[in-house]
Amino acid sequence: MFQIIKNEWRFLVRSRIFLGISIAFISIMLLSVFLGNYQTQKQAQTHQNAKDHVRQQWVSIDEMNPHSAAHYGTFIFKPSNLLSNLDEGVNSVTGNVLRVEGHVQNEIVHSEASQMQAVSRFGKLKPSLLLQYIVPLLLVFLAFNSVSNEKQSGRLKLLVLQGAKPLQIILAKTLSVWLYGMLLLSLILFVYGLLNLQSLTADILARTGLFFLSYSLYYFIISGLTVFFSARWQNATLALTSMLGIWIIWTIFLPNILMSSVEKWHELPSRNEFQTAMKEDRSKGLDGHNPTDKRSLALKEKVLKEYGVDSVSQLPINFDGMRMQADEDYGNSVWDKHFGNNRSVLQKQKQSFQLGGIVNPFISLQNTSMGFMASDNLHHQEFLLQVENYRRVFIKMLNDKQTYGGSKTGDWGWKIDNAFFKSVPDFDYQPTQISAVISKYILDVILLFLWTILVVALIVFGTKKIKIV
Amino acid sequence: MIQIQNVSKSFKSELAVQNLNLEVNKGEILGLLGANGAGKSTTINMLLGFLQPDSGNVSINSIDTSKNAQDTRKLIGYIPENVNLYPYLSGLENLDYFCKLAGLNYSKTELEDYLTSCGLASDAHLKKVSGYSKGMRQKVGIAIAYAKKAKVYLLDEPASGLDPLASNELSLLLQKLASEGATIIMASHDIFRVREVCNRIGILKKGILVKELNSKDVSANELETLYLKFMQN
Repeated sequence: MFQIIKNEWRFLVRSRIFLGISIAFISIMLLSVFLGNYQTQKQAQTHQNAKDHVRQQWVSIDEMNPHSAAHYGTFIFKPSNLLSNLDEGVNSVTGNVLRVEGHVQNEIVHSEASQMQAVSRFGKLKPSLLLQYIVPLLLVFLAFNSVSNEKQSGRLKLLVLQGAKPLQIILAKTLSVWLYGMLLLSLILFVYGLLNLQSLTADILARTGLFFLSYSLYYFIISGLTVFFSARWQNATLALTSMLGIWIIWTIFLPNILMSSVEKWHELPSRNEFQTAMKEDRSKGLDGHNPTDKRSLALKEKVLKEYGVDSVSQLPINFDGMRMQADEDYGNSVWDKHFGNNRSVLQKQKQSFQLGGIVNPFISLQNTSMGFMASDNLHHQEFLLQVENYRRVFIKMLNDKQTYGGSKTGDWGWKIDNAFFKSVPDFDYQPTQISAVISKYILDVILLFLWTILVVALIVFGTKKIKIV
Repeated sequence: MIQIQNVSKSFKSELAVQNLNLEVNKGEILGLLGANGAGKSTTINMLLGFLQPDSGNVSINSIDTSKNAQDTRKLIGYIPENVNLYPYLSGLENLDYFCKLAGLNYSKTELEDYLTSCGLASDAHLKKVSGYSKGMRQKVGIAIAYAKKAKVYLLDEPASGLDPLASNELSLLLQKLASEGATIIMASHDIFRVREVCNRIGILKKGILVKELNSKDVSANELETLYLKFMQN
């Protein structure tokens, strides 16, 4: 088998057309890695500058009422992810700036896609675009006549007469085409690793390893299927047509059809519905800015009783701050309910979409590619959750200061000094570790393995019927 | 060495070979003459073990080709009408590759000796096969079988398309192989070449062996007359 693989590679190395295409393609791939890396670094720098600027503004507040500061708020910038250099997933459309303030949970805005001059169907020139769409096409073009050419030229007879078994020939041809895909994949990861040598962590290496595994399996599926068709069909054109048909169905039609179906089965509320429902639920709770609100009055009675006083002016604390926090707590529970519902729907959508991998391994590849590169919706939701948790700590600190900082109820002119603002912690994003989310992608990896086994079975059992003459 | 006993083979309802009986001994060259569709290639493919006879037995060195094809193939060298080698490899590299597939590791000198023995000029050994003539490719094809130490050579229309010089070289080479003990079956349309090279000649018509004769017993003209007579009737 090694001799056949070696011979196939001799052909690849000696073919000027192939070498030309390979050099051109590798140049584009390397360009995509360099550009992606440059963009990621530039974005990281821009975000850091913006983050520093916003933080500087915050810690420079001389004196301010805590509740005014809660409305003044701050901004959080979604940190650029080193891994998204390989697959930016949903990052370009989800937005990357979030305003954090009291009473409201704002939506993340300023997506890259919204600011692009031209939005391509396939997204930006990222390694994932080439690895998911173009490399499989190259493998198909390399493999479609690998066996049929041997048959038509009569060499297959000679090979078999020399002792090579048809199964060996087909497996060797599959492996030699697959190795070409692996070479391109390894080259991209190697250059990416070299460019980011100092930033590599165990988590990044583990994620990259899993990314490599997913693509390896997918390339084997594509190479094996193409060589199998090349062996089974009587002519190469039929094998090429079959595989191009499969490529189109797998990469263009099925993902769209399945996603649309999944969105119908597990429907998310529209933005308008979501906001209306939030507003409605919110209106049933306590209004922090309205002291005559029924629930505010009930809270006041409860607090007065606790402190054993008759009026808020006798309280040793500022009841306004307490009311604001109660408003905040209620708002948080409303948000938890609606956002939780959305998360649950998104989770169901993801699980159903993952099952699409049963009929389409490309779906499993896309899921793992984005997932392992931390650029899928799951990681984005995790970021939003961290921001919301920070917002709650941030606002509670301000409300607590208003309540227990020494001011009296109704004293809206009371201010705190700069030392307090400096003591409010900045948002510190904790990247999601792969160990915490790997279980979410196990199904995709299993499906890719099952497809690989299916292709091997096709080759092993299907080649028994191959006609040598 | 080669025995074909009461062999019949049909494709769908079309009879390709009918009750064929042939025996070729060691050192003997049998020529199979016949028009297209006479059953020459079917007979060769049954000897190669790529086709199974519907009835009868095909054996090489007393080994049944339909039951032990892997074993009989080790004894066979096959030279088709067009020896399609790998065009991006040189003659030497092609020979080396096919030998390695058969588990034979020869040194460069040994490979060159095989090519030279089969009539390929030494200055062509390292040239890419894409630049070879048909005759040169035939020589590499024979060298592959020769290096494999084949006991049986099966040639399917080997002289077709060769220029007279190359065709003559092929004849001499086959005679040399037979003198070394090889058993050869050569299917061909070329009456004169078959008469010149082969010890015995079989004429096939619609899958039936209509005549078998010693080449020494007929002149080229007589063979042609006989062949045409069988083909026309």
